[in-house]
Amino acid sequence: MSAVLEIKDVSVTLKRGGKSVTILDQFNLSIAPGEMMGLVGESGSGKTIAALAIMRLLPPGAQIQGQILLNGEDLAKADEARMRAVRGKGVGMVFQNPLAALNPSRTVAAQIGEAWRVHQGGGKAQARAKALELLGEVGIPNPDTRLDDYPHQFSGGMRQRVMIAMALACSPKLLIADEPTTGLDPLIARQIMELIARLRRERDMAVLFVTHDLSVVQEHAESIHVLYAGRSVEWGGANAFFAHPRHPYSEALLGSVARLGQARLQNIPGNLPEPESRPAGCRFAPRCAYAQEACSSAYPPAHGHGGTQAACLYPLPLSGKLVYAEPLAPKPTRRFLPLLDVQNLTVRYPGAGGWFGGATKLPPSLNDITLTLGRGECLGVVGESGSGKSTFGRAVLQMIGYEGHVLLDGQDFHATAGQAKRDLRRKIQVVFQDPRESMNPRMTIGEVIAEPIRLKGRVSGAYVRARVQELLGQVGLNPEMAARYPGGVSGGQAQRIAIARALAAEPELIVLDEPTSALDVSTQAMLLNLLKDLAFRNAFSYILISHDFAVVSYMADRIAVLNAGRIVELNETAALISSPQHAYTAALIAAAPQLQPHLGQTQSA
Amino acid sequence: MTKMILRRLASSCLSLFILVALVFFMAHLTPGGPAYSILGQKATPDSVAQLNARLGLNQPLVKQFGVWLWHLLHGQLGYSYLLNRPVGQLLWVYERNTLVFYSVSIVLSTAVSILLGLVQGVWFGRWPAKLIGAFQLGFYALPPFFVAAMLILWFAVDVRWFPASGIIDLRDPHAGLASFAAHLVLPVITVSLLTVSALSRYFGEAVHEELGKDYVRTARAKGVSFPAILFKHVMRNALRPLVTILGLSFPYIFTGGVIVESVFNYPGLGWLMWRSALSQDYPILIAIVLIIGVLTVLGNLLADLVNGLLDPRASYE
Amino acid sequence: MSEALAMSPTRSLGQRLSGNYTLTFGLVLGALILVSGFVAPFIYPVDPFTIHPAHALEAPSAAFPFGTDELGRDALALLLSGGYATLVVALPAAVLAFVIGIAYGFISGLGPAWLDKLLMRLLDVFLALPSLIVLLFFAALVPQSNINLILLLGLISWPSLARLVRNEVLAQRGRDFMLAAQQSGASRAYLARVHLIRVIAPILVVNGTFMIGDSILTVSALSFLGLGVQPPQESWGSLLESALDIAALDPWWLILPPGLLVFGSLLAASLTGQGLLRLWGNGR
Repeated sequence: MSAVLEIKDVSVTLKRGGKSVTILDQFNLSIAPGEMMGLVGESGSGKTIAALAIMRLLPPGAQIQGQILLNGEDLAKADEARMRAVRGKGVGMVFQNPLAALNPSRTVAAQIGEAWRVHQGGGKAQARAKALELLGEVGIPNPDTRLDDYPHQFSGGMRQRVMIAMALACSPKLLIADEPTTGLDPLIARQIMELIARLRRERDMAVLFVTHDLSVVQEHAESIHVLYAGRSVEWGGANAFFAHPRHPYSEALLGSVARLGQARLQNIPGNLPEPESRPAGCRFAPRCAYAQEACSSAYPPAHGHGGTQAACLYPLPLSGKLVYAEPLAPKPTRRFLPLLDVQNLTVRYPGAGGWFGGATKLPPSLNDITLTLGRGECLGVVGESGSGKSTFGRAVLQMIGYEGHVLLDGQDFHATAGQAKRDLRRKIQVVFQDPRESMNPRMTIGEVIAEPIRLKGRVSGAYVRARVQELLGQVGLNPEMAARYPGGVSGGQAQRIAIARALAAEPELIVLDEPTSALDVSTQAMLLNLLKDLAFRNAFSYILISHDFAVVSYMADRIAVLNAGRIVELNETAALISSPQHAYTAALIAAAPQLQPHLGQTQSA
Repeated sequence: MTKMILRRLASSCLSLFILVALVFFMAHLTPGGPAYSILGQKATPDSVAQLNARLGLNQPLVKQFGVWLWHLLHGQLGYSYLLNRPVGQLLWVYERNTLVFYSVSIVLSTAVSILLGLVQGVWFGRWPAKLIGAFQLGFYALPPFFVAAMLILWFAVDVRWFPASGIIDLRDPHAGLASFAAHLVLPVITVSLLTVSALSRYFGEAVHEELGKDYVRTARAKGVSFPAILFKHVMRNALRPLVTILGLSFPYIFTGGVIVESVFNYPGLGWLMWRSALSQDYPILIAIVLIIGVLTVLGNLLADLVNGLLDPRASYE
Repeated sequence: MSEALAMSPTRSLGQRLSGNYTLTFGLVLGALILVSGFVAPFIYPVDPFTIHPAHALEAPSAAFPFGTDELGRDALALLLSGGYATLVVALPAAVLAFVIGIAYGFISGLGPAWLDKLLMRLLDVFLALPSLIVLLFFAALVPQSNINLILLLGLISWPSLARLVRNEVLAQRGRDFMLAAQQSGASRAYLARVHLIRVIAPILVVNGTFMIGDSILTVSALSFLGLGVQPPQESWGSLLESALDIAALDPWWLILPPGLLVFGSLLAASLTGQGLLRLWGNGR
């Protein structure tokens, strides 16, 4: 049984700023017919480039060395005309962000029909019938009514189904999915993965899906391939991988993924090397806890037998204890002094008005929320998009208008005004989702952090400078950072600066709105650990808003679950997770990355 | 959709009304007034007062406005003091000439802009695009009167291919469409050069931007050929901003048109406006301002409508 | 995720200009034209109004570097004097329009929603008409003088800048870093003064350069039509018009220079604007 896809010694070079940069190096991969493989890596690992290389969809100026054999045919040598015949028919591809990946000006029927007609010819009526059939197959309800709809008329999950339908139109034997669930809500993401798994079985199709989300791989894939800084570090059976990772990077990566009920998140010190400055020898060595001198001399050949193979001179022993599988010890219940009191908080957005239309009544985006928060407590707020969780954060921050009362330290915001209100408001600080957007691109880092200090009152320049240095140190950043601009720091560093800025105002409460969603897994771990550490030392409270249950459960003392603007359940973390009272909570928990025993399940039934 | 159209119409009408009122009051409030220009050398305070009384210019301004509006609603655009004719009658011929001139220019410019923009977008960064870019920059900076002057020098004086002025050969009793067309050539080229340099740049940018979008990559991943991607996918999305820009650029076409008409002595609205400005013939001025305002507003509305049709998302706003 | 070095606005002028040919060329060209208008008359002190009937309509020669017009006046002197006349009206007008446009745009963008609606409705009215038409209209009504011309131009050309500024202000207003600053206690005035200005400044400067070019073009166009700078003072536009009157005599030395200077000014403005855009990005 020959492989559907065989990649042999492939290197990909791109042109960046006039220079040639090798993004992917000595890449080898093999997928059998019907096999589902996860290609895993963080940003900059080269995984997306690998996927695009198979389809020969790389930007102009890219060069591919090596062989890419699809059913024996070398795609790397094929000309454009041949590739056009292969794309969509031999290999189908699904991209992330379906709203951008679909043409907003053409109907769904036209776009799916096009995929069919390009290879099979045929008239419009035939193509339309095929589109109808495919829409049904991917689980779109009432497909006949939706054929002439445009992409923006579908919800996110439905759009992704449309994309999948389009990729399958000509029944390819290999489907490549590039981060198909990134950006989707957890429940929807789960449905999409289940759809892909089902389609794989029904069509006997191989699937290569590219992702940074290890839990998805664990649940659905048979095999896994891990990339780091452009080279493969470990590959093989998924079961074996999750039971006994052999490569130190794999172990570190697994340790930094947030799972429900987990004790510790592991930091990976250091940063991913830039393509231009990759170390000779093992690329992970500078950050590896087990590194030895020999590791830096030449890139390690593969070691291992059965299970997985790892490109490491000193692969981890098979019988090691799994750091990430350590469950959380039950936390003692703490008593908190009250800090924040939210009473009957309701937020309504005004409907569209106009000269000829009256103000339309939309349902309130936040409806009658009541809860309290204690000093030093971390409250997690989870929900899907549209649940109102961000709105809640903004209302507490006084960024939007609301009905009801929010009291901090016994003072009602609605009862204050002017300077008194500004002073009270300063006690609640914020960390946003997009780290760089939250800073003025034309202000230096130092100015960004100094601003809350300066706004508080008259202070000397020397004091401000000293304080900025101190704060940078507290979040683990170099003092030289102060002279840089937001455009010149990484996402993780930017988020740390945002935290430093929040600290500069000496708040009593910090609201974090999806603080880690835009970051890589290992950066996320570092940030969460930093937050935990800061809370421990400073005794301020957090409101942590996220759609990622695992992240919230790692940090929060109590969790509030929001759905359609209402609190569905509110309880202490451990209790909520072990025995959820509401069906919705249970569904969210089931969709979250689970802490699984090392003999964990892989494919869903 | 109809709601949106009605709303836009109402809003445009309001804008026009304010505009017209503004213009009217400004005209009649400035020192001097039409009486001075009519009487010219013979203006003495007495004769001016007499003329004012006869023309009804000494009535309260608001009443004058009311009278004027009343006439307007009855299709009368006022009476030219200097040319001694009702304005409406006068304007029609000039209006027709201008409409022909502009229509030809706009159609030609749009077609050429789309072509150039396509080339510029597809070959972005390579020499065809850079060449077009240089052309756009250069011609955008060329003043219309300079272009007109150069064209006249070359084509009308040096090689005598095209006439330098007028609209039709008055000396030839059998002059017909051909002569008409010949007289249009240089003016149309002048206006088009400028319009094309601006429009094609927008379109070129739009095409380039669309080509970089995700849905183009998806289409490639399906195996769609490049020409099909360009014409079935990209064009639809890139044309939309073009339509908006076109609607917005009517004022600029008029501006260029005035100068071009003056240089070539082409008897259109712009030319008439120029001469009326020189001779301070207020009724004509006001009437032309009104017509141009209406045309501009209609142009914008039309552009919005076409946009609404092209964009499936618009009907849901 | 590559870590690009930040583009620090504190790099030296030389570093920033090297490689940015657009900006360099634009600035140099603009400087040359300004010099020709304001300083050159001191370097070439020939009276533009002296007529030499014996040398009427001569092509360029040693005696008259740019030739003479139909009245025998020195074309180069006319050109320089015309440049001064054009610039002395166009530049202040541009500044006036710039100031009004920014103020209007800021007030509309930062003020309450009802004010914004009102101001924008008013702006729509102004924008409904082509500026030259309005200018022709008012130029016909008011007595001709430089001051009036400056005022007229300044008061007509600010609307598009105002709309741009207002749109930018609205777009930047709700950005995360503005919200974060507010959370730290910033007042509206502080936000406008410290944050907004920094982010919007590049676009303002770039548009300012375009406005200068536009202003020169408009003054020249008006003068060409006889409604701008009045005789006996000549300007680039009027020089071109006189030359065109006698086009049949093929007076290329009278047509090219003024036309090229207007072209050069517009080009300088365009290039400088584009060069600045490339230098600064647009603050997003």
